[in-house]
Amino acid sequence: MTSRALPQSKEALLKSYRTRLKDDVKSMLENFEEIIKLAKGEHDTQLSRLTQCEQDTYEMHVRSANIVRAGESLMKLVSDIKQYLILNDFPSVNEAITQNSKLFRTKQAECDQKLMSLRDDMAADLYDLEEEYYSSINK
Amino acid sequence: MAFNGVNISVEAPIENQIQEITYEGVEIYQPPLTLSESLAKYAQKIDFSKTIEADVKKEDVTDENKSDSDSKDAFQSSLWPWDSVRNKLRNAFQEISVLADVLAIAKDKRYMVLDPVPQEPLETKPMVQIYARKKALAGAANVLLAGAEKLKTSQNEAARNRTTPDFHIELLRLRQNWRLKKVSNTIIGDLSYRTAGSKYLQTGTFEVTKAEEDEKLCSPPGSPGGAPPNKPSSALKVSIPSELQGVAYIEVLCQKDQEDLCSASINLLGSGAPSSNPDMHWQQKLEAAQNVLFCKELFNQLAKEAVELQAPIPHMVVGNQIMATVLPGIQLIIALRHSTSAEKKQEKPSPSKSEHDHVLEHSLHQLLREVHHKNTHHPFPHPATGPLGPSKKRMMAGPMAADRYELLEMTKQEKLLEQIVKQAQHFIMRMRTEYVLDTIAKEFKDPLISSHWNTLNSPTQSCVKINISTHGYDAVCRTPLVIHVGEKSLKCICRDGKVMNMSYEPQELRDLIFCHINQHQILAVQALAKTMGWQCLGNSNHLGSGPVEPLGNAASCLLVSPTGDRIIAVRCEPQASGLQVAVAHSPRTDFIPTRLVLERKWEHLGGQFRDVRLDKMEGKNFLHKMELLMASLTSNS
Repeated sequence: MTSRALPQSKEALLKSYRTRLKDDVKSMLENFEEIIKLAKGEHDTQLSRLTQCEQDTYEMHVRSANIVRAGESLMKLVSDIKQYLILNDFPSVNEAITQNSKLFRTKQAECDQKLMSLRDDMAADLYDLEEEYYSSINK
Repeated sequence: MAFNGVNISVEAPIENQIQEITYEGVEIYQPPLTLSESLAKYAQKIDFSKTIEADVKKEDVTDENKSDSDSKDAFQSSLWPWDSVRNKLRNAFQEISVLADVLAIAKDKRYMVLDPVPQEPLETKPMVQIYARKKALAGAANVLLAGAEKLKTSQNEAARNRTTPDFHIELLRLRQNWRLKKVSNTIIGDLSYRTAGSKYLQTGTFEVTKAEEDEKLCSPPGSPGGAPPNKPSSALKVSIPSELQGVAYIEVLCQKDQEDLCSASINLLGSGAPSSNPDMHWQQKLEAAQNVLFCKELFNQLAKEAVELQAPIPHMVVGNQIMATVLPGIQLIIALRHSTSAEKKQEKPSPSKSEHDHVLEHSLHQLLREVHHKNTHHPFPHPATGPLGPSKKRMMAGPMAADRYELLEMTKQEKLLEQIVKQAQHFIMRMRTEYVLDTIAKEFKDPLISSHWNTLNSPTQSCVKINISTHGYDAVCRTPLVIHVGEKSLKCICRDGKVMNMSYEPQELRDLIFCHINQHQILAVQALAKTMGWQCLGNSNHLGSGPVEPLGNAASCLLVSPTGDRIIAVRCEPQASGLQVAVAHSPRTDFIPTRLVLERKWEHLGGQFRDVRLDKMEGKNFLHKMELLMASLTSNS
């Protein structure tokens, strides 16, 4: 796994993502190939066959675990890239901002309009009420 | 040492090495080495590792270095002459003991068995090998399957739990609403108003983290506020600096000698569940924190201005409270209330302070927003070079050759505190005017005093229209008045277009209204007389005769009946509605010649005025009574 060495520039970060991807895929492939090779079993060693078998078993396990690890690392990479995209996708952010501001503007206009009509109604009613109140006997 | 084939023989010096030189200058030599000692010296120079072929070869290459180290060795040898020999022997001893241990264990035949290495590899059956391989592959496949299964279940889990959106979706939502950036491994957000034009120094950073799995599981039963249960289980967690946690609001109080006139409390969130629930949704949490930041900035700004401003009565800043004098005896208190998570909102404004003034609340809010807006929105045109920000007037100052005074005038800007003080002043003025008008309207039943507040007004200016009229006689006479309520003064525009300026003392307004009530009565009587066919002989708004009035002057008018034989005199004193009506008959209906008045014609000169006791008369109000009086006098003639 490539170490996430706090890349300063975005370029370096993207490069690290690329290398991580390649490394992981390569690791998957290599490990798989190795497992296949082991399955073929054509290697002459000084070890006894049984020992060799044991070793092969062990190696296969380790290699398959490596493949799994590479897969999970790829998942992590996907999530990292998603995060990176979310945080650095300025066009979409701008779009969201525009949309939000538009939304709020229409809301504001709506509220203003409502308030205005409410104010007008209230002013008219207030006038009547004031008229009534001040000309009534019970003040 | 063999340089260019020239051989140099190296021998031990004849003189022995000097061990010490005493103070007298006597040199003490080392004793010469004995035979055994020199043997030891040479023996320790032997490098056993050199026996290996490679080392011997290397020897040539590093000849010179060797010689250096040799000489060093020779120097150290005096410390422990048999050092390397000892080391070699010890290593050999270690190996032998390990061998012995191994043999001992092997002899036991419990843990280890020694097998002879078969010269011919043991021929195992190929089937066994195949089985073994099959088993190994199956094991590997199991590992792979388990891994795949794990990935699959995690995917399924995410797909199944659509109600709890996945971290990245939440993050995207957060990103759309807040500023975020990645600093090394953490995601840092910014909730300050810096981008909106704020220049407040405090940073409003928060950190975004992934919510822990177990936390997610235990949080759903929380949230007693009736929030949807799946709300708190967000995949995202924001942590806010402690100084921005909790709920803050700004309280504005108008106080009159320890007695509250009004209070407003700004709480941008409203009172709707501002509880600082730990598992509040991040949006609310961030909004609350932003509100705290805003309130802090507002208060900070106000406090700074309160110290800077040179008011006639200096503003006081004590702790989280600013006190400014609005009008004599009335103070404006602006306080920052910040309750942190522990004590929720138990110190809600007490009932006595429940009279919220949303105008003051809103305007404080608005004022700071306006400042923010001004900071970012500079007036056009924007110069390609030169600073942004100065107003158009200021830019024109150069070409127009403005003088120092003008420039100084331009730099004067109204501070927030000044503005809010003005608004508070206006608020008090408006309240006082309302109170005066209402009490007068309550006091006076006869001329009706009705006031209509204008709908269109500004935070520091409003307008009220007053109509003085008599019930039932609105069409005959009405006295309209318009009062402009300003910040510290009132401006009254009278019926005749006269403009009266008054100070903030309510008594002045009261007096003015009294005077106008008087005037109204006199004018109304005259207008009524006209409709009745009576004639107005004369009227005076400022009568010089009679007792001196404490307030203004008495007004009067003299009316004569259509036939001219009846005269009504009305005198109106501003104080306590002192209306006096007197009637005179001329000539009298019955003429008895006396010694002095011999002929009837002299009776036309007018006779004695007799007071009319108005309170005993029929009629709903003064004008009605006058109408009845005039009618009766007219019919009699």
